[in-house]
Order: sequence, then structure tokens, then C-alpha cells
Amino acid sequence: MNIVVCIKQVPDEPTIRIDRQRMTIIREGVKSIINPLDYVALEASLALRSRQGGEVTVLTMGPPQSEEALREAMAIGADRAILLTHPAFAGADTLATSHVLASAISKLEPFPDLVLCGMQTIDSDTGHVGPQIAEELGIPQVCGVNEIILEEDFLMVKRLSDGFLETLHVDLPALLAVTHELSSVRHLPFGALEVAFSEREVTQWGLEDLNLREEEVGFRGSATQVWKLQSPPPRREGDLVTGSPQTLVDHLIRKLEALSILDEEDGHE
Amino acid sequence: MGTNNALNGVWVFGDYRNYFQNRVTLQLIAKGKELAEKRNTKVTALLLGEQVQQYAMEYVAHGADVVIAAEHPDLKEYQVEAYCALVAQWVEAFQPEVFLAGATSFGREFFPRLAKRLGTGLSADCVALEVDPKTGLLLQTTPAFGGELLAEVVTPNHRPQMATVHPGVFQERPHNPEAVGRILYPDFNVLPQSRVRLIRSRRQQIRKVNLEEAPVVIVGGRGLGSKAQFERLFELAQLLEGEVGATRPVIRAGWAEEDRLLGQTGKSVKPKLLISIGTSGALQYTTGIQGAEIIIAINRDPHAPIFRMADLGLAGDASAILPLLLEALRKRI
Repeated sequence: MNIVVCIKQVPDEPTIRIDRQRMTIIREGVKSIINPLDYVALEASLALRSRQGGEVTVLTMGPPQSEEALREAMAIGADRAILLTHPAFAGADTLATSHVLASAISKLEPFPDLVLCGMQTIDSDTGHVGPQIAEELGIPQVCGVNEIILEEDFLMVKRLSDGFLETLHVDLPALLAVTHELSSVRHLPFGALEVAFSEREVTQWGLEDLNLREEEVGFRGSATQVWKLQSPPPRREGDLVTGSPQTLVDHLIRKLEALSILDEEDGHE
Repeated sequence: MGTNNALNGVWVFGDYRNYFQNRVTLQLIAKGKELAEKRNTKVTALLLGEQVQQYAMEYVAHGADVVIAAEHPDLKEYQVEAYCALVAQWVEAFQPEVFLAGATSFGREFFPRLAKRLGTGLSADCVALEVDPKTGLLLQTTPAFGGELLAEVVTPNHRPQMATVHPGVFQERPHNPEAVGRILYPDFNVLPQSRVRLIRSRRQQIRKVNLEEAPVVIVGGRGLGSKAQFERLFELAQLLEGEVGATRPVIRAGWAEEDRLLGQTGKSVKPKLLISIGTSGALQYTTGIQGAEIIIAINRDPHAPIFRMADLGLAGDASAILPLLLEALRKRI
């Protein structure tokens, strides 16, 4: 079974800081990680490979430094890695992003039996790219998958969808967007990271390799545009109390009394 | 259905699977009507299913000018590919300006694929929708950069302008039995989805967690530092007769189950009192709590964004405050 896993390098949440004057993200000091759900997708692909054989290919679109994420994925166990990078790919919305990823997957020979991705990324959280890749490839999709059972030549998958626990029969090839219940992430084998960084190859494809034109990718190929960024408006701005923990607790208790959540205590205040 | 100018306005996808728990379609019909009035057009709700007349009537009573009700036994279950094929045909035939859907599990799976098929843009989890007075474009406000900022997104050259909206962001209109609207039953052929087949479906067992109806909600964030600290919130919730909610980083850390998640990809709550502890106040979380009557926030960073939406802010260390608070409450209750 040949599997493609789509991954994305994202900024690690706690390190994100915003320049509120310029309304941009401060790049310095931001640590990059593989999107957490993409690890889950990768792990699922390795489990399927161990039963069925075949190859696991990791794929990402991003700036050249995204290569680090691919090398980490190879250290975890992926057989090969493809980096889709070109200046024209920048500024893409999900429509343009899925176009580049789907173009790369179509180029693979043989066509993969399964495409896996994380259900959403922690930086943009849209969850759009998976279904949009499936649409462009003309293959079925299931989102929110938390269990994959491999049958003869199809999959049974389970998921929770709007309060229903569903079991679905999925014909291959297909795309599955997975959630974090699926599996736990293994620890890196000792020394694997070093090998992945020094000895392994990352294939790099740009605009021409994918036979794409500038106007169909990146900012130009996007249907949506960001007009402006703004800070969320303050909604309430109540009092901010500082002091010792006991002072703070006393304030809180008084507030609970004022809200009639606690009965007023005789002699209190 | 014939030509009808009313049908090229604002469309809302009718997501009725959990009609009684999830009123997002009604909320979008209300918002869609407001947008449609500004654009001098109508709001149309689109329904697909086996027997959907009762929902069509509800949608009219809640403000829909037109309902397209596509009934067919093969549409009994929600199916992404069959729905895409049918809905794309109707969108191409009637050319709506705007198309909205709730950010339910199904909405989040169906709308991206539909947008791709139509070759148009889609914004996720909007927290506000307005019409730009100059251009008439739909201004789609959506959280960006992990919720630290709001992005105003437009779809200038592609139609329809598509967006998903989380339940609870907008208010539904009251049920008006006198409301007048048209219900259209189109003729169509359906190709049942064969590549993904539903084998079994059962409702998740009655949940113990009923955040949406709890009068008091205690929310813990990653600032609590550990699962052990987070678990102290259960005692606090018990003393105040409330429920415990969590932010995404807490779920990710495995301190709580997904059914406690609040915010953009979780639940929206409107309790009388919400106490938010160790949460920085990322928009992806605060989207889910803006309906709370009173918000009290505890965070050690006095500049944390959560304080900008709190009625009372306590700048202090939760691990020092919690034991004292629990002790004070145990004496009182």
C-alpha cells in the first residue's frame, strides 16, 4: 500500500508573538514544529505499512526551511520526502494550496492508494485542505477519522461526526483526515534524526516540475484575500485586581456573592 | 424551478441532523436575511434529505424567504460527494452571491469540497459577517495567527462568497408562524455515493458533560501547568454547581477529553458565570465564551488578552489561588 502523508510546518503556539503596531507575526524566536495532527497521520501510515508493505511518502508545501519537517518525518520512518517550494507558492489560500499538493500527488507513480493528513493545523485551523485535495484528485474523503481498519482492498474507518459514532466503508484510493485519538506518537529512534539530516534525500519540486502557471498558485491563484488584520476589540474591560492570593480570593468571593451564586455571609464585609 | 431573481442572493445550507441541539442554520438564516436586505435580495435555505418538509417550514418561520427542499430516499444520510454533485449544479444554475454553512462536523467536511468544485474561496469559522458599503463584498472576519488577530477576508472575484460559522456566533430570529416563504421541491437525479458507505451509526451515549446548559462554567487553560492542577477544577465546579470546560492546548496535552472543548472548534456556552483560569485568551477560545453573562479571569500575566474580555480579572498564580478558593468555598457551602 503506497501512502502519501501531507504535513505542514507550523509555528509552535507558545512562541507566537504579535507586533500589534504592524499587525504581523514576529518571526524572531518562533520555533517551528510539525503540525501535531500530522504526526498522527504519519504514525497511522507507518502502522499500515508495517502490515501491508509499500512506501510512505511525506509531502509538504512551504518555504525552503520546511525541509526540516520532512527530514524529521523521515527520521520517524517515512521512506521518502518531497518538498514543494517556489516563490510563487507564497500567500496561498486553501484553494491554491490544495491545487499545488494535488498536482504533486497526481504526478506520483504509481498513484497512491491512500492520502493521509491531519484534520486541521494549529496555525490556521481551517481543515479545508484535505477535502480540497480529495476533490481535485477525484477521490473520496472522510474527515475526523479516529480508527482505521485495513480490509482486503478497502478500509473500514470510524469517526465521531456531529454526535454520531459512524463506521464507514471506504473504497481506495481515498483521502482520510485524522484526529488525535487515532494513535500515540512514537519516540524517535536513537540517532535517526542525525541520519535523516545527513544521509537522506529530499526531492524538491517547483512550479515547472508540476507544470503549473504562476497565476494558478500562491497569492495569484487564491480566491480569498486578506484586506486587513486587527486586534480583537476589548469586549468588557472589567477591573483588574492584583495582590496576594488571599486578596484575590476575597475579591472573587465577594463577586460570587454579588452575583447571588454564594449567599452573603453574616459579618462578611 | 424556473428563473427567479430571489434565488441569486444569500444561501444557507440547511444542516438539520441535530436540529434541537444545534440551531446554527437558524442563526445563519437570521444573519443571511440581514445581509440579503443590505444587498436588496433574498435569503434561501437549501435542504437535502429524505423527508425535510418539517425543517423547510421551520426555516420559513425563522426568516427564510425561499427554501429549496430536495427530497429523495437516497439522500437520507449526509453524503459529501452526492451533496456536492447536486448542490454544485444548483449553485451554477442560480448563481447565489453568498453561501453560508454552520461549522458542524458535516459543514466542515462538505463546504471545503464544494468550494473547491466551484473554484471559489471559503473562509472558516467566521466571527462576524458584514457587507462592505463601498464594494458590496461580503466582509468575512475570521481568527488568524492562532487567534491572536482578526483577519478581514474577502472573495473579490469568485462567486459565491462562501463562509462557515460556528454555532452560537449569531442569534436566531424568533419563530414566527405567520411568516411567508416559498418552498420549492426541485426535480433531480441523485447518484448515491458508492465510494464511502455508512455501515453503522449510533448516537454517542448520553453525555455526562453538559456544558451548554450549565449555569456556571469553569474553564482551565494550559497556564494551569499540569493535569493535576486542571483536575482541581472539578472540585471547584462541584462546589459552584457548574461544569468544567477546557481550551484546545489542554485537550492536546491530554488533561481533558474532547467533549469539554470550548471555542472555535468546540462548544459555545452562555452561562450566567464563567471562570476562566490559566487561559491566555486566544480568539479561538474566546469565540466560544463571548455569550457568558459574567466572565471572571485568573491569569498570572496582567497583560493576558483574556482580561480584555473579563468583567473581573485577577492577576495571580492559579496554583496559589485555587487551594485558597476551594478552602473558602468548602466552608461556605
